[in-house]
Amino acid sequence: MYAICLEQVSLWRRTQEEFSYDLKRTMLSFVEGKYRQPAKNLVLDEVDLFVAAGEKLGIIGGNGAGKSTLLKVICGILEPTRGSVGVWGKIAPLIELEAGFDPDISVFDNIIFYGVMLGFSRGQMRSRVKSILAFAELEDYTLVPVKALSSGMVSRLGFAIATDVEPDILILDEVLSVGDGRFKNKCKQRLQKFWDANVTVLLVSHELDLIEQTCDRVLWLDKGQVKYIGEAKEVVDYYRDTVKHSASLG
Amino acid sequence: MVGVAKTLKFIDRGSAENITRYLELLQVLVTRNLKVRYRGSILGVYWSLLNPLLMTGGYTAIFGMAFTSYYHNSLFKYMLEVFVGLVTINFFSASTTQALPSVVGNGALLNKIRLPVSVFPMSMIVANMFQFASGSLPLLTLATLVTSKSLLNVLALLLPLISLACLCTGIAFVVSAMFVFFRDLPYFYELVVSVLWFGSPIFYPAAIVPANIRPFLVFNPIAMIIESIRQIALSGHPPNFALIGGSFLSSLVVLAVGWKLFYSWQHQFMDLL
Repeated sequence: MYAICLEQVSLWRRTQEEFSYDLKRTMLSFVEGKYRQPAKNLVLDEVDLFVAAGEKLGIIGGNGAGKSTLLKVICGILEPTRGSVGVWGKIAPLIELEAGFDPDISVFDNIIFYGVMLGFSRGQMRSRVKSILAFAELEDYTLVPVKALSSGMVSRLGFAIATDVEPDILILDEVLSVGDGRFKNKCKQRLQKFWDANVTVLLVSHELDLIEQTCDRVLWLDKGQVKYIGEAKEVVDYYRDTVKHSASLG
Repeated sequence: MVGVAKTLKFIDRGSAENITRYLELLQVLVTRNLKVRYRGSILGVYWSLLNPLLMTGGYTAIFGMAFTSYYHNSLFKYMLEVFVGLVTINFFSASTTQALPSVVGNGALLNKIRLPVSVFPMSMIVANMFQFASGSLPLLTLATLVTSKSLLNVLALLLPLISLACLCTGIAFVVSAMFVFFRDLPYFYELVVSVLWFGSPIFYPAAIVPANIRPFLVFNPIAMIIESIRQIALSGHPPNFALIGGSFLSSLVVLAVGWKLFYSWQHQFMDLL
């Protein structure tokens, strides 16, 4: 049984240099007849991917290879230009939530807020608040505005909210542990639980050893294309060789 | 099991569940917004009345005597008309101006979690509706009761207010979507709001507008809404349903166009957030 099916998924995106568009310049360029359609880049190129339920898949590749983009397509944040995406099960994106916390409202309200964003109801979240606070070790800060927390506490809170779920598919983009040494261990234990349960995991990381140890299969993305997919050890070794080779050449 | 579809295919829950989720999202966003705005002080709502009350005082002091002949020589009547005009246009400018950056401002969130984008501009309108309902609405209701002595007018008062909310939502969709593409939009929008401000008979009687310009006021949907609220709240006559219908018609057109634009541009947002 599949959890994720991607067939011939291609995605074109507007390029970075188009980001500073403004109305004044656009209108002026229309008047001067210099207007042109924004340029687009091919970010994912006919990606086929089938992930079985319960499988742990590692995703590797250089910067800008399209790893995070692929995850966003799977989460439904980005719509592919062509191809089809099928996802069976509830997805939990484990992402740094800190960016979205509202510093002016309390820890309690932020937990409810984020839980609802992640797809829970307020009722469900109210019953989860206690265990989230306990995991983040922030019980004494329930009604304190988030801006009063230290940055370590904020990342602990983010991790606690994002992992206090029972997903079918867990998406990990380099966020494996936060906080100090002791808390890092706690994070690892919690993630281990997902590995032991029959959860489908997609893990993007540059730590090849970790990928090799924890994943069943590995997908190597290169310039938006599937370069190789197969047994974890096989792909990681191939990747290491290629990187070493190109480094010695360059 | 492997469906081959041309477009994105998700195991989406039923649409009823989607609506529940949308409302749930709206509720937390509005709560967050109001909490940040008032920091625990319920009295904060009444600060929002300070602006229209002070402005009404100012306009009455300066223009009151000049225009009083248009208001049966009653300075008090002029004052009420100005107040109604001000709370209406203030709602419009505050809610749409706050909605304008709402999609871009939540870009980080949208890049991490799949969310219905329209909920962000929508939440700004709803938050302002709450503020309006607790600040200006009681005063408007009181004025309506005193002048018309009719419950029908009090109830009818809600109709132009609903059409105001629809108008603002439509504009909010357009400006929040455009801001994704054009980050200098706030300067232009400020200009548009000022033009609408002066193009609406708020502190002057519509009668002083030259006859050849007056037809253009018809194209200003806020002017029609203000006129309708004044007719219901201050004229003492039974509600004029032609005015109500007219204001609804134009608001719904704006809402439909805004919604259509927002949804047709939506798939391009993510590349720019």
